Amino acid sequence: MGNSKKAIRLTALAAGLTMTMAACGDDSSGGGSGDLAGSSFAVGSKEFTEQKILGQIAILALEDAGADVTDETGLTGTTNVRKALESDEIDMYWEYTGTSWTEILGNETADAPKDSQELFDAVAEQDLENGIEWIAKTSANDTYAFATSAETSEETDVTTLSDYAELVSSDPESASMCAAAEFLDRQDGWPGLQKAYGFSLPEEQITEVDLGLVFEALPKGDPCMFGEVFETDGRIPANDLVVLEDDKDYFVGYEVAMTVTEQALADAPELEDVLDPIAAELTTEELQALNAQVDVDGLPEDAVAEKWLQDKGLIG
Amino acid sequence: MTSEEQQGASTGPVDKQSTVAGRTGTRSLASYTFMPVALAVVLLLVYLSVSTRELDSAEQKRLAFDYVVSITWSHIELTVASTLLVLVIAIPFGILLTRSFARLITPPAIAGFNVGQAVPSIGLLAVFAIVWDFGFWPTVVALAAYTTLPVLRNTMVGLTQVDASVIESARGMGMTKLAVLTRIELPLAVPVIMAGLRTALTINVGTATLGAFIGADCLGRLIVSGFSGNRPYLTIIGAVLVAVLALLIDYLAGIAEDVLRPKGL
Repeated sequence: MGNSKKAIRLTALAAGLTMTMAACGDDSSGGGSGDLAGSSFAVGSKEFTEQKILGQIAILALEDAGADVTDETGLTGTTNVRKALESDEIDMYWEYTGTSWTEILGNETADAPKDSQELFDAVAEQDLENGIEWIAKTSANDTYAFATSAETSEETDVTTLSDYAELVSSDPESASMCAAAEFLDRQDGWPGLQKAYGFSLPEEQITEVDLGLVFEALPKGDPCMFGEVFETDGRIPANDLVVLEDDKDYFVGYEVAMTVTEQALADAPELEDVLDPIAAELTTEELQALNAQVDVDGLPEDAVAEKWLQDKGLIG
Repeated sequence: MTSEEQQGASTGPVDKQSTVAGRTGTRSLASYTFMPVALAVVLLLVYLSVSTRELDSAEQKRLAFDYVVSITWSHIELTVASTLLVLVIAIPFGILLTRSFARLITPPAIAGFNVGQAVPSIGLLAVFAIVWDFGFWPTVVALAAYTTLPVLRNTMVGLTQVDASVIESARGMGMTKLAVLTRIELPLAVPVIMAGLRTALTINVGTATLGAFIGADCLGRLIVSGFSGNRPYLTIIGAVLVAVLALLIDYLAGIAEDVLRPKGL
């Protein structure tokens, strides 16, 4: 069922793309006078807020540099976006180093380099075989993280994951946790976390919910005191949550960088000049703030992206 | 997905089955045995598929026999609890709203129940999770809110279709209004009410899968896990199990319908 749906979506995507490309061919007014004048790109993204914002940032910056850009943001799931990239249906999208290391390149979580630059280099090198280039590495790390409310952290005196492991052993009832299915299933999620910190939370203390509801549960402390989050999530500061320090460096880095097809980069090497200054500005805190503007304040992704680029002086 | 199909089938104001309330009461032995045999075959195929397949760690955890049995049981609890809740709300209200003294409040009351069905279950679940709680009870109430209307409608239709002359002669024989209700109207309305309940049951089996989003254990766990982790195999197994459960419960409700139908109808 899932596969046929995907196939239909991909076919529709391919059809849509062919039409827009044909349309672009007739339309010569799109090109400007910047570094990328005359080139055209299709920019993709995954379906969640952060990815859509990042996609819009790339689109606006490329357009500002004079390129013709097709918006293919919002594709569902890593697998689909990646397939679109490998089959040249899109030219680029922002990916996470950790996701690529495990999910795309099929490496073991435990073997991932701890240093973020080393992880980026390793991923970039392996992906060359697939004809994919990694450029514009940011320091925004959208890693898995474990959070709790500021209040709970104070009451239980838990600020690191080691503290949490101790709490689980001494008082499992007050160590209850909420997480989404994906975190509970993934080897680089909950199972690995328990192994790395040497604890085991009884099943009845785990509530499996949709990710968004973790942010409803933690401030109330009901039905759970701790929960899975993504570190760049804007709802962390908005809900006054504290991220527990990963003192054993368990979670793999998930730093944002641009993946682009070899062909597209060869045709327009100036891409790096356009994207590098953006990457230099994108930190975890910046991304958290951008996400918050969409998820908490309800602003549209493209407006948020445009304002950020203008504030940073990255587009004219 | 199963739940959608079942929701789609229920959008009509009165369930189709109610219009054929008078169909023949007894079925042949073959028609009674076909469904359980077919479902058993499907379950066997699922079992063979799971036991011969190489599973990754997440699939092993989600398809462990004990885990599947426990979430299936939780799924049945959700279904039964929500249908019971529907029963105790919809039938008394259905009776009340067909009494002549309630004429004036009938339209607004039905509009109220209509809202319950108009709001999508997933939205109601999310709202409950935010303003109320997570887990079993919010899911039960959200399911019940969605399926109260068909049972209420069928109860009202069942009661109002009773021939006025029958009621009149009963009154003429000196029966009280209460006696007319309990001894004439309700028995005659049972087939239509049962058809509504059967619809509610099948909708609830399918929709209970959504409980997975707000922390209620149910077969939706497999579907959600498969979907978020890109494991279509898990999603398919989950969907097949929900479908088997839905067909089984519908089959059992069909038997209950046959047994409870008053003799002579």
